[in-house]
Amino acid sequence: MADGDISDNEPTTRTLLRRVLDTEAPRTPRRRQSTRAGVQRTPLGTPFSMRLRSQTKTTAGRQPHRARSIGRLAHIQTRGQLKEQTPRTLLENILLTAPESSMVMPESAVKPVPAPQVVQVVQFSRRESSPGSLELQLPELNAPTTLAPGRLTSGRRKKRLRLSEFQQGMDQELPLSQGPVTEPPGNTGASSLSSSLNLTFATPLLPQSVQRPGLARRPPTRRAVDVGIFLQDLQDTSVATAFPGDRTPVATLPTDTVLEDTQPFSQPLIGRSPSVHHSLPYPSLSAERTVSRRTRSSGPGLQNNSPGKPAQLLAGKAEEVDALAMRFPNTSSGTSGVDGLEPLLGGVGEEVEERMEESMSLSEVKEATGAQASARAEEPEAHTEVAEAEGSWGAIEEKELEGSSGDKDTEGRTARPELASSTPEFPRARQLEFLEPAPPTSTAVLSSEPLEPLSARLPTRLQTAGPRLRQDPYKMGLSHYAKLFSFYAKMPMEKKALEMVEKCLDKYFQRLCDDLDVFAAHAGRKTVRLEDLELLMRRQGLVTDRVSLHVLVEQHLPLEYRQLLIPCAFSGNTVFPAQ
Amino acid sequence: MENDGKRSCLQPPHEVFWFLLQRLKAAVHYTVGCLCEEVASDKEVQLSRQTIAAISEVTFRQCESFAKDLEMFARHAKRSTINTEDVKLLARRSNSLLKYITEKSEEFNVERKTKKKKKLEDENKDSLEPAEAGGVGSEN
Repeated sequence: MADGDISDNEPTTRTLLRRVLDTEAPRTPRRRQSTRAGVQRTPLGTPFSMRLRSQTKTTAGRQPHRARSIGRLAHIQTRGQLKEQTPRTLLENILLTAPESSMVMPESAVKPVPAPQVVQVVQFSRRESSPGSLELQLPELNAPTTLAPGRLTSGRRKKRLRLSEFQQGMDQELPLSQGPVTEPPGNTGASSLSSSLNLTFATPLLPQSVQRPGLARRPPTRRAVDVGIFLQDLQDTSVATAFPGDRTPVATLPTDTVLEDTQPFSQPLIGRSPSVHHSLPYPSLSAERTVSRRTRSSGPGLQNNSPGKPAQLLAGKAEEVDALAMRFPNTSSGTSGVDGLEPLLGGVGEEVEERMEESMSLSEVKEATGAQASARAEEPEAHTEVAEAEGSWGAIEEKELEGSSGDKDTEGRTARPELASSTPEFPRARQLEFLEPAPPTSTAVLSSEPLEPLSARLPTRLQTAGPRLRQDPYKMGLSHYAKLFSFYAKMPMEKKALEMVEKCLDKYFQRLCDDLDVFAAHAGRKTVRLEDLELLMRRQGLVTDRVSLHVLVEQHLPLEYRQLLIPCAFSGNTVFPAQ
Repeated sequence: MENDGKRSCLQPPHEVFWFLLQRLKAAVHYTVGCLCEEVASDKEVQLSRQTIAAISEVTFRQCESFAKDLEMFARHAKRSTINTEDVKLLARRSNSLLKYITEKSEEFNVERKTKKKKKLEDENKDSLEPAEAGGVGSEN
């Protein structure tokens, strides 16, 4: 490029135009504009050239009045009219007439804030018909001889003034405010034009929501769950207005907690992972936890128009308790429920707020660990408080249990049988008590049994570990699977039928795990491994000579699990997971 | 050949294979028929031909499935030979069958051990005799 010495940070009009001219050969307008501004210029080609033609003709008559500009303008006009009225010719004209130095406006005025520039850009975009803000700059650049400045003021009558003013400014390197004819709006318009010209090709920064920085990375989940949470919140909170806008971020989160009867089949993706928080990568779990916290807190926060701090603490906490309890499996729900309950009872809302604020800040893992640690530490205190709270929050707790049981069950529902192994116990047992023993025992099974992809077959879909259920006196864990069964049956089912279904499921899962155990022993091992599971699936007929395990993984599992299971080559000649 | 009508497009090896398959199926059918007759006479129930044909077909296909499973089990245990362990694993579903098979396998093991002992003793005797003979011969 000819103007290599000038950095991109200060794209003056001249440099930009020069670049355009240098890089592109004179061709049709459409082709010409595919340089610095990139693709955006190309759609601008035809309308721009058309506009130019109309503009140049109109401006031709206006120019003779200005002495200084006459000569050059005449030159330009003659050149322009003699040649084709193309952007290229206009650019050349500009380059001929425009000064070498940077734009007239001092940097201080130019730099200040992208926001006003964005605003200006937006204004330009409104006036012009072209799509992007970047493109808009070009026509106004390219048509200094035309009504570009006039556009700013959106007043046809001021066109001439703007043009001449602009021309003079360009010619004389004077700030536009010092032009012979200056009008404040015109001035601002011109200055803004110049400022915008300077910042022409800078991408306007989209304001990102600071509240949930991690949202973009979250896998999208079904919106159906939103309604459940929404209704739940409506019920529990006294806040009349529930902003649907608040829910949309929740929707984008891996919401899976709601296991009311309205939404019994929320994706357990993230809901399950907390239960496996020992085996699965920790950050994901904590991230989800913090994310959910974030949403919960942001929900009331947004409602109160205070990002990060729910003004209505009580309402917010109530929401939190329910949402968090519903949302998380026992490990987290215990803690979160504790967290939620504590502030309500002990008035330690500030702590929780801090935690929530923390969670809303940047590093998720840190907050999660910190929150968890603090939550765990507060468990013993919370225990008594929980007992106290039971009376007042009895209804909520029931929901919690149900929700968590359903939650747990849905976790097991999808492709991870090993997770489901822990689910039957969780709902029943005291969450806090089971926190410690359950996860370690389950993880052994979990780590050893990788996955089983979903299939159309119901029994295969609803897989939990048999032996675990045997130990557990309650069969609450399977009740959710029975519910699933009744859902997919699309017909009303008798209770006895559901009980039979539960029995069958119980036996099925027991046999499943026995088989896995036997297969592992057959190979002289004590740990169940992927090969054992693959053998089992082969026996079941899911894995055939045509359909391999990897195919099933790809078909039924989400991407996160797939990358854990199927070896993939990464940069640096590494393969993960290592074989 | 009567098979040409059905498999005229096949290559010769496939035809041969198919022919052998048919022979095997026929043999299975015959055996199943004999067994069914025994059962029928025991239970004093009559079995129609279609029933016997169906049973033999099912048996044949089940044997195929068994064979594949056995091969899988053997491979799972990182062996290239199918073992009694694989068979036991296959039969674990039905308890009675499993019992029967384990008993039989134990019998087999016992038999094998006795046979081995006999063999060893015989071999020792055989090896001793020639040695003695040789020794005697050499002495002489």
